[in-house]
Amino acid sequence: MTTIPPPVLQIGQVLTVLLLAPLLHGFVVTAEERVQRGTGPSLFQPYRDLWKLFHKELVIPDSATWLFWAAPFVSFTAMLIVPLLIPVLTNYPLPLSDMGDILGGGLILTLAGFSILLAGLDTGHPYGGLGSSRESMLAILAEPTLILVFIGITLLAKAMLPFVVNHLLVAQPAVYWAPSHLFLVAAFFILLTVETERLPIHSSIQWEIYMIGEARILEYSGPLLALLKWASWMKQAILYTIFLNVLTIPWGLSVHGTPLGVAGSLLALLAKWALVALLMVGIDTVQSRLRFYRYQEPLALSFLLALLAIVADQL
Amino acid sequence: MLIFHLDPLASAWFSLLVIVALTLSFVMLGSHWLKNHIWAFAAESWVIAALSVTVGAYGHYPELYAIAVLTVLFRGLLLPYLLLRIIGGLDVQREIHARLSPARSLVLGVLLVVFAYEVSAHLGLRLGLADNIAVLALTAMLGLKLIGFLMMVLRTEAVSHILGLLLIENGIFLGSQILVPGMPLLLELVILFDLLVIVSTFGLLTRYLKTHVGSTSSHDLQRLVG
Amino acid sequence: MPTPILSIWLILAMPGAAILLALLIARPRWAEYLNLVAATVVFALAVSLPWRVHGTLVWFGGYLMLDAFAAWVTLCTATVYLLASIYALGYMRGMAQARGRLHHFYALFAAFGLTMLLAPVQNNPGLYWICIDLTTIVSAFLVGFQREPECIEAAWKYIVLVSAGLALALLGTVLFYWGGTFTLGPAYAMTWASLREVAPHVAPPLLVVSFLLVLIGFGTKVGLAPMHTWLPDAHSEGPAPVSAMLSGALLNCAMIGVVRYLGVLEHAGLGFLPQMLMIVLGSFSLLVAALFITRQSGAKRLMAYSSVEHMGVVALGFGFGGPLGVAGALFHMLNHSLNKSLMFFGAGNMMHAYDSKNMQAMRRVGDYFPATGSIWLAGAVAITGAPPFALFLSEFTILRAGFSGGQWWAALWMGLLLVVIFVGFLAHFRNMYYGEAPPVPPHRTISAWQTVPMWLSIVPLLLLGLWLPNGLWALFEHIAAGISVGVIP
Repeated sequence: MTTIPPPVLQIGQVLTVLLLAPLLHGFVVTAEERVQRGTGPSLFQPYRDLWKLFHKELVIPDSATWLFWAAPFVSFTAMLIVPLLIPVLTNYPLPLSDMGDILGGGLILTLAGFSILLAGLDTGHPYGGLGSSRESMLAILAEPTLILVFIGITLLAKAMLPFVVNHLLVAQPAVYWAPSHLFLVAAFFILLTVETERLPIHSSIQWEIYMIGEARILEYSGPLLALLKWASWMKQAILYTIFLNVLTIPWGLSVHGTPLGVAGSLLALLAKWALVALLMVGIDTVQSRLRFYRYQEPLALSFLLALLAIVADQL
Repeated sequence: MLIFHLDPLASAWFSLLVIVALTLSFVMLGSHWLKNHIWAFAAESWVIAALSVTVGAYGHYPELYAIAVLTVLFRGLLLPYLLLRIIGGLDVQREIHARLSPARSLVLGVLLVVFAYEVSAHLGLRLGLADNIAVLALTAMLGLKLIGFLMMVLRTEAVSHILGLLLIENGIFLGSQILVPGMPLLLELVILFDLLVIVSTFGLLTRYLKTHVGSTSSHDLQRLVG
Repeated sequence: MPTPILSIWLILAMPGAAILLALLIARPRWAEYLNLVAATVVFALAVSLPWRVHGTLVWFGGYLMLDAFAAWVTLCTATVYLLASIYALGYMRGMAQARGRLHHFYALFAAFGLTMLLAPVQNNPGLYWICIDLTTIVSAFLVGFQREPECIEAAWKYIVLVSAGLALALLGTVLFYWGGTFTLGPAYAMTWASLREVAPHVAPPLLVVSFLLVLIGFGTKVGLAPMHTWLPDAHSEGPAPVSAMLSGALLNCAMIGVVRYLGVLEHAGLGFLPQMLMIVLGSFSLLVAALFITRQSGAKRLMAYSSVEHMGVVALGFGFGGPLGVAGALFHMLNHSLNKSLMFFGAGNMMHAYDSKNMQAMRRVGDYFPATGSIWLAGAVAITGAPPFALFLSEFTILRAGFSGGQWWAALWMGLLLVVIFVGFLAHFRNMYYGEAPPVPPHRTISAWQTVPMWLSIVPLLLLGLWLPNGLWALFEHIAAGISVGVIP
């Protein structure tokens, strides 16, 4: 069997995330509409949106500085880097994947969020500031939990490389079914709802009083907005991938890098994404939005779960 | 004995189920709605049935499958149904006079479980079972016991008292599945039956409480003192 | 006389038949006499049983067993069952709330008797636990039989507290079994004997933890302070014959479990801590009883706290251990059964006559009811441990065991509190027998059914107080050797 050379696979990983992220978003939106008895847009509507935005005129506020320009590029680039580090298609490390571990990937993702946060403040408009301040409060609540989850994973696998964790979970069902691991999965899932802007904290309805993420990029238009949107969809795809391929469903990845295996793992990835997306849609449907002052509750639960996982692991 | 040669996967399964059961008891502590308690109890019973099946499969105790079926029927379906009927007849939806807020009772519950763990770990150490699933089983037994007592102390509604008692029984049943899977079948059957009788008795007595005393809250049961 | 095994079968069959027939025929009069016949036969079979049992008999697939100790407790239970059944005839007819439901009452009453007769002969500790649990369920309905708010409240508290306590005992039972699996393999027949056999091989901490759970669990049922809180409510709110059964018979049935587990620990050479615990709980029960007896107003609550006191004394007896302590405790069980039944009967009569539960309302008892009143007074003197009644002998034996065994402090404490209780208890009786005449004289007459059982209990108490047969003492020594509760080192 011929194998695809690792550099090609590595580029393939980035392209997978880059090109399929809008599809994932389209799937989530459509599925949500379907569940709520609507027709919903086409699966490919995000691609059309991007196309439209890239052909629109770019309007820049007068008060904007270079930060306003830089943020979309920083976040987009960050989203292109992270797929290099995680198992998207293969379960073995590819070139450049040893550039960073889980924590490194997390930092790069945070950098993207941080740059947009600064950009939101940059123009001096009220909505941008509002969005940024809310976002930073959420970050204050969510970051410690995220770090704790990472620590938990590290303690579980005695390593911080996502590939090691993947291998461990596949090889040892006992670790997979251990309460400490499943607690981490639950904790990470709650974080996932927060980070991918889902209920119970984020609302998908675009009203000003609910806005968090959207408020920061209210000033953007045209190609820059397209970049930001694409970046946020890619972030969703990346987080799903980490959640699935590292923690929850570590199976169904290409082991040798044969074309057939890669194609299979691509299909498997799509199926797994769809699974989580449906789960998220379910949560969005049954869960109502929390009041601002109850934001800490799901995050505290997540924190507790991560802590329990670590305690259980150490016993 | 089963607990001495348990492969890691089985051990993981057991601990997972035990911990899920323990977590469900915290759902009971954290809510004041009686229906939530009953659902949590029913879910916990199903978890116990799953544990019986797992233990039966790994330890080759075919009679545990029968126990699992009975657990589902009795504890998982019949008892929750009876309890729902009791609260349906009582017109009580939630705890009104609970002595502590849910958050505080949760913290207290955590402390009790930690205490249970300390005792079990100590006991495990003395029995030469330091890293064994037995410690977890003991923790669950004692922890559920203490949480059940906590519920009976903190809650005033009669139904909460029944549930606290059932929680204690669940804890014993849960732990004994792991520690003494070979316990005589007869005993387990009789205990299940006994549980049913107790719940029916409690149901009848709550009806009497409602009709003759006018309240099912221990807050109002203050006639007999000294 | 039938063989011991056949006797036990008959003893169990009689109340069972009484339940079935009472429910089938569903006529109050029939139910009364059916229950009485059953109780009489049970007593006739049980009275000589302890002397007819030699060694330990195990039968019915190993589920039932009979040794002298079980036979002794069966005798105590049967005695109270008979006395209470006679008394109930008079008492329950006079109870307005019971009209039309008497056959239910007697079916429950016989069922209560049956569960209590079942418990001592169980060979399997798990099944013993279940029997004790069943006694709770059945007796809760008897306590709440009058359907008054207080009765229902008492029944509710009784069943909640005792069930919670018994849940601890179940956990202890499971842990005892678990301890055995280390040596005997995962599945072995769970019997008192096997637990005893295996005890020396079980890790001591596990045994101690298990015993603690069992002691607290069955101790709740025995009514040892501080787990006694259900006892005054349940004993005071049930109908008087039920109170007598609860106090005179049920507490012994629960005590037998504690003592058997004590024997298991003794066998493992761990007797010191459990016996010390018995002594501590017994002493504390005496203290609580003394405090509540001195300032009590309800007639039956007074008797209930007296039960706490006497169970404390029995616990002290087993705690002191040795032939002397065990003999004293066993003797005390019977004496307490007889005497407490008498006291509850008297209290029930007075409550009916004066139409009040409160001792404030009962005045000049001796003037209005010379016969009943004087027996009740004699019973009161007896129950405080004064000579020439049998309780004096048994309490004195236990005290002697305490002093000779080195636990002089506990014995001293016991003696002191017995004096306090003597004074406190009899002060209430002085007020009831002397003092001002009540504004409305008692209107009820007391039937012969209600006085005969009082005679039947005071006479043996007096006889046993004056003359202790050799056979009895030999029996106690035999039982003491069987349960091997030694003197505390």
